[in-house]
Amino acid sequence: MAALCKWRHRLKPAGFFQNAVRRQLSDKYDYDLLVIGGGSGGLACSKEAAQFGKKVAVLDYVESSPKGTKWGLGGTCVNVGCIPKKLMHQAALLGGAVKDAHKYGWRIPSPITHDWLTMAPAVQDYIRSLNWGHRVQLQDKKVKYLNLKGSLMDGHTVKAVSKTGKESVLTAGNIVIATGGRPKYPTHIPGSLEYGISSDDIFWLKESPGKTLVVGASYVALECAGFLTGIGLDASVMVRSIPLRGFDQQIACLVTDYMGSYGTKFHWKCSPSKVEKLETGRLLVSWTDLDSGKEDQDTFDTVLWAVGRAPETRALNLEKVGVKMNRETGKVCVSADEATSVPHIYAIGDIADGRPELTPTAIQAGKLLARRLFGKSSELMDYDCVPTTVFTPLEYGSVGLSEEEAVRRHGEDGIEVFHAFYKPLEFTVAERDASQCYIKMVCLREGARRILGFHFTGPNAGEVTQGFALAIKCGATYTQLMATVGIHPTSAEEIIKLHITKRSGLDPTVTGC
Amino acid sequence: MARQYEEVTVRGYDEFMKAVSQRKGKDVFAYFSGSKNEQGVSWCPDCVKAEPIVRGELGYLPPGSVFIYCQVGERPYWKDPNNEFKKTLKLSGVPTLLRYGTPQKLVEEECFKKDLVRMMFTED
Repeated sequence: MAALCKWRHRLKPAGFFQNAVRRQLSDKYDYDLLVIGGGSGGLACSKEAAQFGKKVAVLDYVESSPKGTKWGLGGTCVNVGCIPKKLMHQAALLGGAVKDAHKYGWRIPSPITHDWLTMAPAVQDYIRSLNWGHRVQLQDKKVKYLNLKGSLMDGHTVKAVSKTGKESVLTAGNIVIATGGRPKYPTHIPGSLEYGISSDDIFWLKESPGKTLVVGASYVALECAGFLTGIGLDASVMVRSIPLRGFDQQIACLVTDYMGSYGTKFHWKCSPSKVEKLETGRLLVSWTDLDSGKEDQDTFDTVLWAVGRAPETRALNLEKVGVKMNRETGKVCVSADEATSVPHIYAIGDIADGRPELTPTAIQAGKLLARRLFGKSSELMDYDCVPTTVFTPLEYGSVGLSEEEAVRRHGEDGIEVFHAFYKPLEFTVAERDASQCYIKMVCLREGARRILGFHFTGPNAGEVTQGFALAIKCGATYTQLMATVGIHPTSAEEIIKLHITKRSGLDPTVTGC
Repeated sequence: MARQYEEVTVRGYDEFMKAVSQRKGKDVFAYFSGSKNEQGVSWCPDCVKAEPIVRGELGYLPPGSVFIYCQVGERPYWKDPNNEFKKTLKLSGVPTLLRYGTPQKLVEEECFKKDLVRMMFTED
């Protein structure tokens, strides 16, 4: 008995040695996979890896916005992006539907009013249920969740810091960076940081934003200005140059034209010079008309900056570890298999350079990466022909090339553009203006005329576009389109019936059945 | 060791809402079970299975919190889709373990997993 105790006692101080030996012999690292960032990409990657029986951990940490907004697990999409955006867009659409309802026979007292204090908490409650749902899913799939801020120490080591400052060190065989992005603030404009908010804040406001100036012309800016107008608020958009940069410009103008007639005010080719707070608490914004050089001012309750997003790389310590970044964009350079310049470190989602800033691509890339790392798969993510939809008051769905890009690649003579202005049936009785409801199909001019790009503006654009994404992925041609029968009566059938080309110069307005 | 939480036992919707309203501002956890008969056995087999698992984790409840054990009623009452628990509290099944006033809840088989129960009791 005494001998046993002596033996045990001798082994105690060797505990440290024991751990190192144990690591070398069996696990080697704390985790097979450590994911930094619990958003669309990070969660999908970690859950997929766990399916293979691997030891996986996710570090998710939200640095509060300058205004102080914070949120739970799930990333941008769930908390301050896609989800609240679509719900508030829906709230705005319903306002429009109620107005149409009169013409369809419904006796509804008018005018109708909208209450931010009913909508916002309902949206926020739904987001919180998603935070919980993700938390349960991670636990269920045996993924370790740590509410810690991670940074790299070397190719296999991560420093993790809690909100109270407590530090710990984690090691992993593989590391995935999926920290996404955050809204940029135009800090060179006096008052921008102190008095303005961003998309990180708009969905979590405890009170209505009131009269709002949205600065920017990205889809974030237009979608926000769109639903704010739709719920009855005075909303203005200040655009420095062009709307929806990167998107088909003909369509971008149709989208903003519709918003203009819908009630959103536009300040084209203007740039804010300063934001000041008045005694009343309202904000005085001064701006310059870039064409005339004239200065102008107006007061607002809220100023929303939507001037771009910056990748969340600052706190990751990437340079020290040798992870190469694109100097211009600040994003992490990745190869076709999402690998960074450091072995065993990968990057997916908004943080990765050259990738679309979309939830479904981050999710798919994350899953495929996990399958390649742990599941003997070699399938790479296909970033070609990714469909998207902009949820402005007039929705815009697209997949494939813009007309400009198609011209750049194939020349004007190499393409055929079919187009049509149509009127959704629902708009007729409602006496709604359909001037900007438009469809454009950009095809190769030769042979069966393969479809290169699809563009649709109108109600339910996302639902309409999804199926066409499959068609284009399968290499659908105009010939096949002509052979497809339309569903009647729908707006989508007008796509199937496209026959007027831009080249012909004929009037593309659809007339009757 | 002294219990850090308050345990309350109630029967039916009205008693439940009364217990909650008397504890405003507190962190209230509620476990809903099909009612037990004179032998102390519930008509809901999942509730019978989950109860010891949930009770086994009560030690992890945050200090100052409240644990309400609520018997919802007899099987025919529960099966009626218009009963107050379903209509007002939006319960979809028994057993349900939830944190009142938050979207945190565990339903049916989720209550069998002690790590999920512990997670609800210990995380924010």
